[in-house]
Amino acid sequence: MSMGILELVRQRTVLLDGAMGTELMARGLPQGSCPEIWNVERPAAVEDIHRNYFDVGSDVVSTNSFGGSRIKLAAHGLEARTRELNAAAARLARAAAPAGKFVAGSIGPTGKFLKPQGEFSEEEFEAAYAEQAGALSEGGADVLLIETQYDLREALCALRGARRASGLPVFVTMTFNPVPRGYFTLMGDSVARSLHELEKEGALAVGANCTLNSEQMAGLVKVMRKETDLPLIAQANAGQPVVEADGKVTYSQGLEEYVRFVPDIVRSGADLVGGCCGTNPAFIKAMAEFLVRR
Amino acid sequence: MIKETLYADMQKAIVDGDGAAAGRLAAEAAKSGLDLLEVIEKGYVPGLAKVGELWEQGEYFLPELISSAEAMKAAMAVLEPELRSARLKARTAGKAVIGTVEGDIHDIGKNLVASMLQAGGFEVFDLGADVKLEKFIEQAEAVGADFICLSALLTTTMANQRRLIELLKQKDLRAKYRVLVGGAPASQKWAEEIGADGYAENAVAAVKLAKSLNPVRS
Repeated sequence: MSMGILELVRQRTVLLDGAMGTELMARGLPQGSCPEIWNVERPAAVEDIHRNYFDVGSDVVSTNSFGGSRIKLAAHGLEARTRELNAAAARLARAAAPAGKFVAGSIGPTGKFLKPQGEFSEEEFEAAYAEQAGALSEGGADVLLIETQYDLREALCALRGARRASGLPVFVTMTFNPVPRGYFTLMGDSVARSLHELEKEGALAVGANCTLNSEQMAGLVKVMRKETDLPLIAQANAGQPVVEADGKVTYSQGLEEYVRFVPDIVRSGADLVGGCCGTNPAFIKAMAEFLVRR
Repeated sequence: MIKETLYADMQKAIVDGDGAAAGRLAAEAAKSGLDLLEVIEKGYVPGLAKVGELWEQGEYFLPELISSAEAMKAAMAVLEPELRSARLKARTAGKAVIGTVEGDIHDIGKNLVASMLQAGGFEVFDLGADVKLEKFIEQAEAVGADFICLSALLTTTMANQRRLIELLKQKDLRAKYRVLVGGAPASQKWAEEIGADGYAENAVAAVKLAKSLNPVRS
C-alpha cells in the first residue's frame, strides 16, 4: 500500500485537494482557535471536508494537521496533545477515503526559526517533526506531506524527522517568492538548491505550494522541472485575498481564471496538482474535469 | 584612521551583518572624539540603505536583514551611552507601537518589521502576537507613539486592522496616530479601504513608508 501512491504518479497526473482552514471556518471554527483541536472536538466536520474533496475527484487529501507540530501547538497550549491530535487527523481522513484513495499527513512549518535567527536547534526541530510524523503514520496516513516550508534548513529537519519516525514516503513542498533574480524562499534558498538538497535527503516527490497564483505557479513549475527528475507537486493559491464590503473574503483569481492555468501547470511538468489558499472543492472539481478530458 | 575610511568600514559592517565589527568601530569613533551623530548618519545609516537596496534587488533575504539589523543594534548599544553622557540624543525617527492583531499568532513578519524599524532609528514598542486591540491603544497613549503598526497573516484576522481604526475613531484618537498595516493578505487597496495611513509589502518598504509619513520632528 505504501508505494501505491508512487505507482499512481507514474501512471497519470494525481489530483490533491484544496484549502482546509477556510473550509473549517465555513463550518464555524472560531477565528484564532486551533484548527487541529477539531480533529477531536468536531470530527464529523473535518471528515465531511475530506469527503467533499474525494467526492469531486481528489486522489489524495491532506490531513487537518498543518499546524500540528508540538512547537506550533504550544502557541495554543496544546503541545501535550500532539500525538492525539495528529493520530486523530489521519484517522478522520482515512475514514473518509474510498478504497484506492490516499491520505497525506500534512506537516506545516513550526512558525519559529532555527538559530541564529531564532532560538531552536536543528535537533529540536527534527524531534518535533518526528513526533508529528510518527503520530500521523500511526493514524493511518499513506504518505507524509511536509508543506509550505520557507526555510530549507527547517524542511530538511522535517524530512529527516519524518523518515526517522516512519517508513512512509515523504513529499516536500517549499513556498517560493518571485524576486528580481528568480524564485527564492523567504530565507533565500533557490529552487535548484532546495530541490537538490531535498532529493539528496530522501524526499520522493518535491514541489511548491502557496504564495503564488496559478499563472505564476506554471512559470515556477518550468523552473523546477529542470532541476529534478522526481515527481513534482504544485499547489497554487487563488491569488490574493480581497475583503469585500460585507467583510466576506474572496480571492483575486476567480475559479475560471485559476483553472485556466492548470493545463499549463500540468504540461510544464507537474505530476501532482491541487490547490492552496483560496481554493475549495469547486476548484478541485474543475481541475478533475480537465484531467479527465486530457 | 581617517574619517572616510572609518565610515566606509562602518557601512561595510552593516552590509555584512558583522555586529562585532560594527560595535568595535563605534567604540573607536567614540574614543577618537568624533561627532557621534555624524558617525551614525554618515557611517551606519548608509549601510542600512545599501541593505535595503540589496533586499529589493533580491540579493538579500531574511537572514541578511536580521544580521544587519543586529549589527546596527550593536553599534547603537555602544553609541547611545556615549551620546547620553554628552547630553546628546540620536535623532529618533519616531515612536512605533507594533504587534500582530488578536486572534493571530503569526509573528515572523512582524518581528522583522520591528527589527528593521528599530535599526532605522525608530523607537519600537513590540507588543508581540495575538495582541488585544485595546492594548495597542493603551500602549500608544502611554508612550506617546507616532505610529501604530498592525500585522495579520490570516484573512480572518486582518479584519481586526479595520476594527482598530474604528476603535481609535470611537475614542476620538484617530488623528493622533499614523496607522500602518501589513501581512500576507493586506494590500494597498485594503489599507485605503479601511482608512489606514499606509501599507507596506515587506520590512524594507515599511521603514521607507514610516519615514515618508513622519518628517523628522525637531
